[in-house]
Amino acid sequence: MNAKNKLITSISVLFLLWILVAIISIFTGSYELNPFKAIFSGDELSRTIYFRIRIPRVLMAAVAGGTLAIAGASLQALFRNPLAAPFTLGISGGASLGAIIAIRLGLGNTFLGFSSISIVSFIFSIFTILFVYSVSKVHGVVATGRLLLAGVVVNFLYSALILFIQFFSDFIQSLQTIRWIMGSLDIVELDTVWKTLIFAIPGCVILLSITKDMNLFALGDDVASSLGVNVGMMEKKIYFATSLAVSAVISVTGPIGFVGLIIPHVLRMIIGVDNRIILPCSFLLGASFLTAADTVSRTIFTPIEIPVGIITASCGGVFFLWLLMRMKKEVIV
Amino acid sequence: MEKIIEGQNITFSYDGTEVLKGINISISKGKIVGVLGANGAGKSTLLKILCGILNPKIGRILYKSKEIKNVSKREIATKISYVPQNSTFGFPFTVAEVVLMGRAPYIGRFEFERDSDWKVAINAMETVGIKYLQDRLITEISGGERQLSSLARAIAQEPEIMILDEPATFLDLKHKTEVMKLLKKLKDEKNISVIAATHDIFSAMFYFDEIILLKEGMIFAEGSAEEMLKEEILSAVYEIGVIVKKENGKIFVLPTE
Repeated sequence: MNAKNKLITSISVLFLLWILVAIISIFTGSYELNPFKAIFSGDELSRTIYFRIRIPRVLMAAVAGGTLAIAGASLQALFRNPLAAPFTLGISGGASLGAIIAIRLGLGNTFLGFSSISIVSFIFSIFTILFVYSVSKVHGVVATGRLLLAGVVVNFLYSALILFIQFFSDFIQSLQTIRWIMGSLDIVELDTVWKTLIFAIPGCVILLSITKDMNLFALGDDVASSLGVNVGMMEKKIYFATSLAVSAVISVTGPIGFVGLIIPHVLRMIIGVDNRIILPCSFLLGASFLTAADTVSRTIFTPIEIPVGIITASCGGVFFLWLLMRMKKEVIV
Repeated sequence: MEKIIEGQNITFSYDGTEVLKGINISISKGKIVGVLGANGAGKSTLLKILCGILNPKIGRILYKSKEIKNVSKREIATKISYVPQNSTFGFPFTVAEVVLMGRAPYIGRFEFERDSDWKVAINAMETVGIKYLQDRLITEISGGERQLSSLARAIAQEPEIMILDEPATFLDLKHKTEVMKLLKKLKDEKNISVIAATHDIFSAMFYFDEIILLKEGMIFAEGSAEEMLKEEILSAVYEIGVIVKKENGKIFVLPTE
């Protein structure tokens, strides 16, 4: 099958999967919701839960999961390393620290119509990716050891700073921060979804527009350049776009881990490594995965909701290990 | 004879160390040119500058009398292809996918390869003799097979000039000879110009029309293979005593130490 047909087929299948997951998610929860009653009868409580709580939440899960997965796939292409992801590189950590600083400084207002929290979060993310990339690239090649070490060190540093800020917070603030750091989708309303999309859409569109360059970049800086890629420009687009998209999501949801690492991997195991297919498919599968994980997180211990970050990390981690052991084909290079 | 690519006064330095010092070079259409010289003489840097990957600090590169930096990178990519010494492959693409990437300069940002591009890629794999590898993963094949895949990718680019950095590294004697024969065939049949850096003085003798000898970032000597492969010249370039012997019209170069 050629790349074009592969793209069309996989996008169709994954889109249907997302629709299915979204429908199940909307009608699952601690409050039993009858779809017909919610839409056609005048039952005010059902309508409120349906339109004001469940739908925004499902949309936010889709935007967050899709964005994190597409960012993960792009970072893996940039670092030519399957272990790169917003979480492992410390970009999520940077975005979190930025958001917490903004919250603590009381920058709750908007700046030119954009949330100040997202802006500070973005500044911290882009700084982190620039730092980690320059530290891990030696003579034009990313050294895996340096990459992981830089990511780990940056993550430790950010955790320390977050703990430091928390230490000086009162009990309630501290509890809020902890809850936020675990990654959660429970404070969402439709307005929040639109505000996230303002940043997430341009970020994802930029990344989707350079998937061909990402493929050529896998052959090395020099060969990519000789095939017509402006390597420096492509790198800058990836820094900018991933930081923009990831910080938009994380400043709302908190650092939800593992989505950006696992989703592109699972797809590569099934449909190959062509970024023109992997990136759009990552968005769709990431959306389905986080929507499903969120559904589990709010129903597994009804009526208590656990943070979705715990579900993604545990389910995702176990599933990934199982896949790794099951697949004979060596995908990690 | 028509000059296809020219370098005028090329000077380049890495972190303050001058690697190339005012090199003037001109390559005619349909010639195979070998760049020889000791390790660190500046061969790889010169090749990267000629195909526009690096920009010289001083001097300029002309492709058919047009300055290369005024031509778009994508257009250059349809004229000049490059095969590096060590090919990196960040992800396990199939061999066919890698060879198809040679068609990238002909395909728009949001377009996919057409059937005609597939045909070119399959032809390129057949030319190099690796069609049987097309569905294998590039990360799972041998170093030599990977080098041949890079070569097929560069051929699929349908260039006028091929620039190769030690094309015969990782190859056994048989494949080494086949690659050199292949370059000669591309020259003869498609009038492609070839510029190759090599340490292989032996194949330089058989297959190269011209040889450029680099020493410490400057051109030490240039001319036909026969003119260049002389004891006094090679001894000076490699800084080691050599004996050049002729037997049955073949030249053997041996170090005296």
